[in-house]
Amino acid sequence: MHRRTLAAATALFAAAALALTGCTGGGTEPSASAGTPDPDASVAIRLVLEPSNLDIRQTAGAALDQILMDNVYQGLVRRTPDQKIEPELASAFDKSDDGLTYTFTLREGVTFADGQKLTPADVVWSLEQHKSQAGWADADTLSRVKSIDADGQTITIAMKEPDSQLLWNLSGRAGVILKKGDKVDYKTETNGTGPFVLGSWKQGDSITFERNDKYWGDAAKVKEVVFDYIPDNQAALNAAQAGEVDVVTGFDANLTDQIQANGDYKVVLGKSTDKGTLAMNSTNKWLGDKRVRQAIRQAIDHKAVIEALGSGQTLFGPIPELDPGYEDLSSVAPYDPAAAKKLLAQAGAEGITLNLTIYNGYGTTIPQILVSDLNAVGITLKVDAVEFPTWLNDVYVNKDYELSFVLHTEARDFENWANPDYYFTYDNKAVQQLYQDSRSATTDDEAAADLRKAARIVSEDMAADWVYNGASVVAVGTNITGMPKDSVNERLNLFEIAKSSQ
Amino acid sequence: MTRYALTRLALLVVGLFVASVLIFLTLRVLPGDVAQLIAGTNSTPAQVAAIRDELNLGAPLPVQYADWIGGVLRGDFGTSLITGSPVLGELAQKAQVTIPLGLMAMTVALVIAVPLGVLSAMLRGRVGGTAINVSSQAVAAVPVVWAGMMLVVVFAVWLGWLPAQGFPRAGWNQPGYALRALLLPAITIGVVEGAMLLRFVRSATLQAIGQDFVRTAAAKGLTRTQALIRHGLPNMALSVITVLGLQVAGIIVGAVVIEQLFSLPGIGRMLVADVGNRDLIKVQGELLVLTGFVLVVGFVVDLFHRVIDPRQREAA
Repeated sequence: MHRRTLAAATALFAAAALALTGCTGGGTEPSASAGTPDPDASVAIRLVLEPSNLDIRQTAGAALDQILMDNVYQGLVRRTPDQKIEPELASAFDKSDDGLTYTFTLREGVTFADGQKLTPADVVWSLEQHKSQAGWADADTLSRVKSIDADGQTITIAMKEPDSQLLWNLSGRAGVILKKGDKVDYKTETNGTGPFVLGSWKQGDSITFERNDKYWGDAAKVKEVVFDYIPDNQAALNAAQAGEVDVVTGFDANLTDQIQANGDYKVVLGKSTDKGTLAMNSTNKWLGDKRVRQAIRQAIDHKAVIEALGSGQTLFGPIPELDPGYEDLSSVAPYDPAAAKKLLAQAGAEGITLNLTIYNGYGTTIPQILVSDLNAVGITLKVDAVEFPTWLNDVYVNKDYELSFVLHTEARDFENWANPDYYFTYDNKAVQQLYQDSRSATTDDEAAADLRKAARIVSEDMAADWVYNGASVVAVGTNITGMPKDSVNERLNLFEIAKSSQ
Repeated sequence: MTRYALTRLALLVVGLFVASVLIFLTLRVLPGDVAQLIAGTNSTPAQVAAIRDELNLGAPLPVQYADWIGGVLRGDFGTSLITGSPVLGELAQKAQVTIPLGLMAMTVALVIAVPLGVLSAMLRGRVGGTAINVSSQAVAAVPVVWAGMMLVVVFAVWLGWLPAQGFPRAGWNQPGYALRALLLPAITIGVVEGAMLLRFVRSATLQAIGQDFVRTAAAKGLTRTQALIRHGLPNMALSVITVLGLQVAGIIVGAVVIEQLFSLPGIGRMLVADVGNRDLIKVQGELLVLTGFVLVVGFVVDLFHRVIDPRQREAA
């Protein structure tokens, strides 16, 4: 009797479980076309890194750019996901042939989220602040600007010398237009001109954006976007499987089958400018020798790295495919452990031990591969996984490291290879000159050509190894449309995002 | 009694002072600073210096400590270097998650530990008693993280009964959702802590069973269970309360881990984030409050002991 009751209870339990999973899991047919976009929808997006504060003026980090740029704060121009420049708060812009004068026509009828009007004086003031405030992010990027003036709705920027990066920089932090004399506490509040306004910020949990009903352009297609900050990929997968989020960014491509299993999500792979950079300190006894650096590069099986990560592509120079100046440099240091061993022998560096300082948030996949690949050619690699502030202090500030691994996510950051004071410890006058030439070029093609030459030199000097170029891995709910695909860890433009009612 | 309370209070104050010095100094040893983190990896030294000036990070250590403690004594725990919000306000907000989580975890632990512990002692030498004892040892050895993952897989992913992570944005304005959000995390901590507590309850019960007064009560006609409940339990309660007081610290540590796993916006997750941001003013405030809480619990437990145990009163 007892045993029979137990069996019955188990069966009942199993049936209930089946019924429940049936309800939450396979209840809806995945079809994007079936539903119509719901203007009152709330979209929940999983993000990985939460901003420490919301101060767009000062606080560095992709976590702020990702959500605040374009959606809340805007500039005269903006960048598209494929890195082109197009008008934003300016309805049109023009550059003189000599590259010394830029004119922008400021849109009329633009208001800030709190209702104040955007005036040409606000634009001039904002750009002047970006240029002069030493503590603001990217302050030095406007160093070639001579003056900023307004005449009616026309904003004119006069240059001391041409700057091929000016428009690009104006589409970033250095171009953010704020209200002159605004009383906003920028650390916890926002006041921008974009299609979304900050609804609430629950630190350690989520940030909510609401549609800006006074937006000057086409209104956002959803009422609300909630960014759920879930650092752990397994927890994010759990949240997705429990139907708690609509979009999962920064996903692990190795979990693709699991998240796609019930048909509610589709994993989309986009490009990114994430460069997994193995920096080599040239002031080190061994790493000062180019043969040793080359041996390290040739010892690393980059294809195996991509396979282990499940996404991304190989990269053999400092410029990724999305940025101007990219070329395929895979022939510079192809995978060849035998050649690596020979180089180490020539340098008298057999059996050396090197230390790798790596930020502990990157997991163990990369260090494991590096340890085993380098071990195969006779280099013992000791891994020191540290907190990010420690990395910043030891490696970035004090340059006290031998090898360092960090994912450099910023687009168009070649400048660091032309800066001998940067932690890369790379000092090559030809590269520095080419970079300056590239900045002074008056056409995009010229600028890209100079960068291409410079990038090749950096790679041929074996200045570092680029372990991989990360992909942008996003799992998108099948009822979501308009989710950007490329570089979403850098910029998450939500102008087009919509959710269908099913 | 008053004299004991005053001595014990003086000890508490000394403890808090020592803790404040240790917290302050330990945090100053951490490499990296908040200005560098704000400025990021494309910053110039000039930019970092400007931010450092703005945040007033240059003062000598004794001055910084005096400023901090002076503020604490006036009830001002300082403001975050990063968001500018008052530390106490942030703590109060996050406590809305962590305190209910801790209380629920403790309830789970007690509900598991007391009946099963007593039962296991009474069934000693029999199959049931051994089974309880062995499984409690096994569960106590399980890392909280692993227990949490398993519970999520079963109850959130397979069964879909409880949320896998997060806390409702409306907080306790949605009491049902808030409770559901804390249930799995509380069970996770509670089961592991409860398994440890169970072993204390068991040995306390065994001790009680062997006591003369229980045997005497049984000899005077009570059944063994009656004797144990009437005369044994009050004695067991003493040692269980002591252990429970010690477990407060364990539950706080459990909360730090479990809030990460379940993405709960509580004190533990805030603490980890603040250390990562080198928001030292905030971290030292948070740590002092947490340490103070544990010390005060110890103080209260000691006094409580005095009050409920006539033997200790008389000895004093």
